[in-house]
Amino acid sequence: MVRATGRVILDLPADIAAIEEAVERAVEYCAPARLDRDRLRFNFRVGLTEALSNAILFGGGGDRDRSVRVELRVGSGEVRARVSDRGGGFDPEAVPDPRLPENLAKPSGRGVFLMRALMDEVRFNEACNEVTLVLRDTGGKWGSARPGAGVDPPGPAGLAAAAGPGNRTLEDAAADALSREMRLAHDLQMKLLPPIPRVRGVEAAARVVPAESVGGDFYQVLQLSGGRTGVMIGDVSGHGFPAALIMALVMSAAAISAQRGGAPATVLEHLDRAIGDELESTEMYLSLFYCVLSPGVPEVVYANAGHPHAFVMEPGGDARRLPATDPPMGIGGAPFRESRAEWIPGEDLLLLFTDGLSDTVARRGRKSGEDLVLNTVAVNHHRPAVEILERLFEISARAVPSIPADDRTAVVVRTG
Amino acid sequence: MSFAQRMAGRTVVVEVDGQLIVGNRHELKRMVLAALEDGARRFVIDFARTGYVDSSGLGVLISLSKEVRAAGGDLRLASLNEDLRTLFELTRLDTFFRISDDLEEALRE
Repeated sequence: MVRATGRVILDLPADIAAIEEAVERAVEYCAPARLDRDRLRFNFRVGLTEALSNAILFGGGGDRDRSVRVELRVGSGEVRARVSDRGGGFDPEAVPDPRLPENLAKPSGRGVFLMRALMDEVRFNEACNEVTLVLRDTGGKWGSARPGAGVDPPGPAGLAAAAGPGNRTLEDAAADALSREMRLAHDLQMKLLPPIPRVRGVEAAARVVPAESVGGDFYQVLQLSGGRTGVMIGDVSGHGFPAALIMALVMSAAAISAQRGGAPATVLEHLDRAIGDELESTEMYLSLFYCVLSPGVPEVVYANAGHPHAFVMEPGGDARRLPATDPPMGIGGAPFRESRAEWIPGEDLLLLFTDGLSDTVARRGRKSGEDLVLNTVAVNHHRPAVEILERLFEISARAVPSIPADDRTAVVVRTG
Repeated sequence: MSFAQRMAGRTVVVEVDGQLIVGNRHELKRMVLAALEDGARRFVIDFARTGYVDSSGLGVLISLSKEVRAAGGDLRLASLNEDLRTLFELTRLDTFFRISDDLEEALRE
């Protein structure tokens, strides 16, 4: 933690259980600002909780080792909280108005709305993986201005408690107990992954390289009617058999739903019905991307429930992100949105990968792991899909440490 | 402990002590669904001692309300302070839930 005048940085584990304590410390720290105390107590707490939930759920993908950063700046009559994560972000403008009658009974989709309603200013960066919240003394949305409390901010020790790693010992013990189970889960995971179908005009390559601990990564490349191709990648948070079970359920349900010709959002809805209860009762999340490519059609149609790394790679080396259209399953629920992006058959590459791959290569240098993966694909764009995949796993195999903590998965697809 | 459950006649009263947010919403859900399974049909969630509720908290109240209604029961909210009431009004969820001023009123109806 760094402490400067009126500024503090908290790094939290990407764990929803860390939110409450962090919010309390942030409120204590901001108390000296000349602000209406009611608005600090309520508006700021709710706004910051929403920003942290989004950062953890979208940016952390349920993996608590991926940290989320909060930078607080306290000035006279103003507090600023900048919350950033390392995920791929999501499009806050794509969230429909939760107050519309058709959205009123939906349990999710109110986070961004509440931030905007309760804070004086909400600003997302371009990648949408960083949000700045501002609460001011004047011009408030509700509540009257009252003088600030005028107390000293808490010392670094208090803040460190919020940023601490949490109950490590318990987790370690649980991890040991699970290790045998994980090996079995791995075998199951590997057996479940189907071979890539050979489809005329479609060149696809995909691989999962399992880690010591199961992350529950999977992919599917499906041959659909009318020469269409369905491509899916998913990452189940959580470990051992529960994660492998979810993965097995998803893979069978997805294949059935996709083969029926379901549109991407419909396939996600079927899946959510099939596994929503299981996810909720096990407190796991599933990030899932599914798209359909049709012969001769210059667009990719996709639905993306919180999967951070999905790209269309152009021959010139440019990467276009296919951002999340919904939160991960287990957080959000039906209905799911669908989106489209330009796709030039014969030229563009579809590139999907999981955190395990980009996080591993990230340890090799200062550049972000995602950038390194994208660069590797860009310079090898002209090569066959299998070779591109080979290069990706070569760079991650050279990474330190040599035993990565998470499954590494990548899918590369090109259509004729 | 975030939630305290007790019976008032045939009504299950759950008191939310502190926050109802993303980190503890499952606890409330489990508690209410277990009571529903045991045959309870009338529920009051009491917010007299509640600090704040986030969008996940609102979400869990919505799904619980739907489940209770589907089972032919009734779930209402009581004792929202001014901030919480504004939160429900902002999101128009004041039209979705039956909200009573206090626990007494909720139990009387």
